[in-house]
Amino acid sequence: MSDKITLEIDGRSCKAALGEMIIAVADREGIAIPRFCYHPKLSVAANCRMCLVEAEQGGRPFPKPVPACATPVADGMKVQTRSHKALEAQRGTMEFLLINHPLDCPICDQGGECELQDVSMGYGEDISRFSERKRVVQDEDLGPLIATEMTRCIHCTRCVRFGAEIAGVRELGATGRGEEMRIGTFTAQTVQHELSGNIIDLCPVGALTSKPYRFSARAWELTERDSISPHDSVGANLQLHVRRNQVLRVHPRPNEAVNETWISDRDRFSYQGLNAAERLDQPMVKRNGVWHDIDWTSALKLAADGLRAVEGDTIGCLVSPRATLEEQFLLQKLLRALGSGHIDSRLRQQDFRGDASDPQRPWLGVSIAELEQQKALVLIGSDLRAEQPLLAHRIRKAALAGAQVSVFNYFNVELTHPHQSFTAPPGCLLVELAALAAALELRGSSDAVRELIGLAKPEDAHHALAQQLRAARNDGNGLILLGALAEADPDYTLIKALAEAIAIGSGVRLGYLPSAANSTGAALAGALPHRAPAGEVLETPGLNAREMLTSPRRAYLLWDIDPAADVLDPALAQVALSDAQLVVACSSFRTPALEQHAHLLLPISAFAETSGTFVNAEGRWQGFQGAVAPPGEARPGWKLLRVLGNLLELEGFAYDSARELRTELETLCANSSFDNSARALRPALKVPDIDQQLMRVGQVPIYASDMLTRHAAALQHTPLGESIAVHLHPEQAGELGFAHGERVSIRQGDATATATVVITDSVPKGCARIPAAVPGSETLGAQIGPVALTKARG
Amino acid sequence: MLQRARDYLNSLLLLEVLKGLRLTGGYLFKRKFTIQYPEEKAPISPRFRGLHALRRYPNGEERCIACKLCEAVCPALAITIEAEPREDGSRRTTRYDIDLFKCIYCGFCEESCPVDSIVETDIYEYHFENRGDNIMTKDKLLAIGDRYEERIAAARAADAPYR
Amino acid sequence: MPEIRNYTLNFGPQHPAAHGVLRLVLEMSGEVIERADPHIGLLHRGTEKLAETKPFNQSIGYMDRLDYVSMMCNEHGYVRAIEKLLGIEAPERAQYIRTLFDEITRILNHLMWLGAHALDVGAMSVFLYCFREREDLMDCYEAVSGARLHATYYRPGGVYRDLPGQMPRFADDKTKWHSSAEFRRRNQAREGSLLDFIQDFTERFPALVDEYETLLTDNRIWKQRTVGIGVVDGERAQAIGFTGPMLRGSGVEWDLRKKQPYAAYDKVDFDIPVGVNGDCYDRYLVRVEEMRQSNRIIRQCLDWLRANPGPVMLGDHKVTPPNRVGMKDDMEALIHHFKLFTEGYCPPAGEVYAAVEAPKGEFGCYIIADGANKPYRLKVRAPGFAHLSALDEMSRGHMLADVVAIIGTMDIVFGEVDR
Repeated sequence: MSDKITLEIDGRSCKAALGEMIIAVADREGIAIPRFCYHPKLSVAANCRMCLVEAEQGGRPFPKPVPACATPVADGMKVQTRSHKALEAQRGTMEFLLINHPLDCPICDQGGECELQDVSMGYGEDISRFSERKRVVQDEDLGPLIATEMTRCIHCTRCVRFGAEIAGVRELGATGRGEEMRIGTFTAQTVQHELSGNIIDLCPVGALTSKPYRFSARAWELTERDSISPHDSVGANLQLHVRRNQVLRVHPRPNEAVNETWISDRDRFSYQGLNAAERLDQPMVKRNGVWHDIDWTSALKLAADGLRAVEGDTIGCLVSPRATLEEQFLLQKLLRALGSGHIDSRLRQQDFRGDASDPQRPWLGVSIAELEQQKALVLIGSDLRAEQPLLAHRIRKAALAGAQVSVFNYFNVELTHPHQSFTAPPGCLLVELAALAAALELRGSSDAVRELIGLAKPEDAHHALAQQLRAARNDGNGLILLGALAEADPDYTLIKALAEAIAIGSGVRLGYLPSAANSTGAALAGALPHRAPAGEVLETPGLNAREMLTSPRRAYLLWDIDPAADVLDPALAQVALSDAQLVVACSSFRTPALEQHAHLLLPISAFAETSGTFVNAEGRWQGFQGAVAPPGEARPGWKLLRVLGNLLELEGFAYDSARELRTELETLCANSSFDNSARALRPALKVPDIDQQLMRVGQVPIYASDMLTRHAAALQHTPLGESIAVHLHPEQAGELGFAHGERVSIRQGDATATATVVITDSVPKGCARIPAAVPGSETLGAQIGPVALTKARG
Repeated sequence: MLQRARDYLNSLLLLEVLKGLRLTGGYLFKRKFTIQYPEEKAPISPRFRGLHALRRYPNGEERCIACKLCEAVCPALAITIEAEPREDGSRRTTRYDIDLFKCIYCGFCEESCPVDSIVETDIYEYHFENRGDNIMTKDKLLAIGDRYEERIAAARAADAPYR
Repeated sequence: MPEIRNYTLNFGPQHPAAHGVLRLVLEMSGEVIERADPHIGLLHRGTEKLAETKPFNQSIGYMDRLDYVSMMCNEHGYVRAIEKLLGIEAPERAQYIRTLFDEITRILNHLMWLGAHALDVGAMSVFLYCFREREDLMDCYEAVSGARLHATYYRPGGVYRDLPGQMPRFADDKTKWHSSAEFRRRNQAREGSLLDFIQDFTERFPALVDEYETLLTDNRIWKQRTVGIGVVDGERAQAIGFTGPMLRGSGVEWDLRKKQPYAAYDKVDFDIPVGVNGDCYDRYLVRVEEMRQSNRIIRQCLDWLRANPGPVMLGDHKVTPPNRVGMKDDMEALIHHFKLFTEGYCPPAGEVYAAVEAPKGEFGCYIIADGANKPYRLKVRAPGFAHLSALDEMSRGHMLADVVAIIGTMDIVFGEVDR
């Protein structure tokens, strides 16, 4: 505690660390100092001058009031935040700030939750002396998420600093000085960073507000309900703002260990999907190809009878990795009680050869907060910012603190911090990884790995990276992360084997970036063919997600997925479903594919409408309660499964509350710890033909990740809301004879689609990036796999 | 003794009763102070707080900007507003309901309105015949405002110096 | 021989002499009251609880609805408690306006009481005459606040608007019943300002009080029904929490306007009438004299108000909303307007009690504030509640008809008893 000093604020003695600013100490002590530009997560700008306080050091007062946010504390300092001089200074600042502020309160969305209003009430004058003209500033168009009213801006530059420091993209900047100062995008472009919605929260006035929420409600009408984000595996803590049973907006709930004070735009704006017209709000049955509304009793009876009519072993269940722990648990219970072990939530995985040797309960490998402390990070097969926007921010923090970040991916990932890319098409990426292994002078534990290492020719970059990993080993701060895109690789097992070899060889840790909110939980719930609840290993596994489709089942139970978008191979899935005798789809949305292939649609609630638990990447159990009632006849999923279990006269479905379920799961999982080490030797595998034909890489764009997001209109209208296109390397396009913007037809086996060509050098040769789960990709095959491109006719 | 005799006499002669009768009898011949409602009406103050109305600007544009101050200040929670951006981007209500059964006619909505849109007019003669008539919708309120704008404006002008 | 038992008689809650929704369960032996058990709560609206859920100012209108025949006095009690909490003081003109309207309210209340009491006891005409005068006073209410009863006129920091310079007038069109000249005659008192109108009223009023007295004071029926009925001695009256005319009728000289002066009461001259015997008749005499004293106070207020124009609301817009002109072209004023009408102000944490001498007695508000924009707890001390509690002991041994006289003399209004 040697760096602790003592100072006095408003007569109260406070302990502080050297170098801390007065305002930070005051905040900790609960002493209110008004501020606009200061934000604990951003750098100090000291340009609003609202936090002026009177200070003295060693008995000598500072000649002028000092800004509390930019004045470091010193031992024996005496600070007065409410002295006459301080109040006068604050009042003066407030008067200046309001001189150019328009009289917009009644039409401003910030009204009622505006820091400017609050501080004006608390610290300002009650009447203005200013009678000249106010300035007017032209508005910016920041896209479909953020509404602007730049005349209201008070130039605190929080948004500018957010862009530079947190997002890492200088999307907004300040031009001009004094009264001429303007905040804007220099080139009138849309703000597109996936965290940019946070500037809405940061803006202390109404200059930046939420566009989807625009004019719809006032802060005082809203009820705050805590919730957890259902998208990525961070499980960002949310606050749903509800009015009259409708979620009107979403705010972050600060949790330093998980999401700090940020949330991604996907977390923030996906609520629009909750109120979408496509919500399924009535049980429906298809008779002679026509959908009819039915009541729950008949619907459940139909489902129970249908499931009873087929042999247990012929039922397959595809469950969303975004289903709650409780739902997944009940589903597997139901399936296994019916005599089927065929349940899987790894819908986007292609290669399951490693199932027997996979770690029992994979996870991130470190806690989310620990990501920041890593010194060397290797990302394998991950479109990081799209998959995990908030983890990307943590990794960015690590990189800015000096960590070496290397990315092995099928195309160049745009990261907002220094990093090294090893880009290669599927197959070749294995060789890249092998080169790293070779640089580490590993020999490999299996034939395949050995063969790959033999093929590899490590270059300087690989040697340098090997050096970094070895250096990071010493303080245990190296991490290799396997991303969601790697999961879709036809040789995922080999990638895992290589990654494990590298991790063990270099002495760093290995982690998985689970793709969805409850991917980690799926192992605990037993929603995997080879895992029982609590992640216990099943020696006789059921069919996995791909096998269920390649060897079609007679009956399918789909849980909150769209077979045209939420699976690895939509074409295969739809063929399998269309041949099935019974397809029961429990879903919160109606989608064309569900309407085409399902026989029975059961409406279930979305995340804000049910209580449940998500287990995030770091294994944190985060429970939440329903904030609004589900639309129409939709019911919480766990209740539906409970009743279905009872109707089928199965044991162990007598639950009165989701809480009861959670308690049971907690007891079950009391001793289940996460571990990323392989359970057994990786199986002997054939090394694929490297340097083969053109491969499709179908990454899931950030706003196509799940049904809820896909139905959020505003997100779809952003530049990140992609639709189908074929991204090709210029040389590749040249070889194939395609021009930019040309229509081409895509063929993956029997699956076809058409799209326009986009020529970009972010994609390596031998690779065609064709996004998955977007409009137009419903008819395509596996996300990663061979693809043939021809000019579209006509 | 004398007093007692006088009291007895007063009592016997019903003097105090007769005095009372003279007073009430006198009123028989005085000018009546009643007025014949509804043909004649009592004076009404420009401050009167009666039936609500929503006003428009002279160019026909509705004044209300959906700031929801009235909704917030309404002690009886009688006002319900829903708003969204209109096609031209301006902030407008899509719903403005006042439940007259809840309203306590305190006048706070008018006090709070920054654009003089919601007002309490001097209309006090109204009734409902059907369930649901008590809900004054935006259309009804605007119609009242349009119809009585002259009176409303005159009353506001008369009281302007005091507000 | 049949056994003689007490009757149990239900009186009210829908009885014309029950003054609202009083339900009395009377145990009677013959026609003599053995026990009177008031059942209350039929007009309970949860005002105190309601106030906990709203910013301070939003509950002013609900105070009107407590004792709904002395509206502004209730507001005064509540507003004074808030002012005490905030540590503010209304401008002097506002204090005089409050004094003026408190006294107008007192007359309004006493007229209502007198009319109803006399009607209960059997005199019809008094009721009509009282309501005639009430009409003029309610016109004053309307002129100043826009409502004849529920004024919502007092605000923490003053009163909402200054007195109007023009009294509303009759339309002087000829009708089937009256000529234009008749309306012009009626408008004579209304030609000037509100103050002129009240002046005119105060000049007429003493003679009118004489008329009521002519009808009642010496009337043998009135006296037979009130003298010696419901006697409470001074000591007992204090012990059971009587205040106002109920206490003064028993000879205790206690009036908050004198003992703990508020508003402008320390600057005006008036006397406190007290009774001797503590019976219904004395309380009647006290209240009638109070009307005359109120009239006297009103005249003094009128003189002062004519001579001293000025602000009627505190200029501190952290508590009181800015005026409308300012609000429309002044940023600070708009922000304060916005915040005051949505969130209100946050008085410092603390507990206060403030009371006023309402027509019925001591009306007080006890507020606990926790620093938020609404009261943590509001307790209303309503005089009628204490008075009604004494009904049993006041009516015991009296005849059934006397119960009506006793209820009448208590001046019960259920708005404040049930709250």
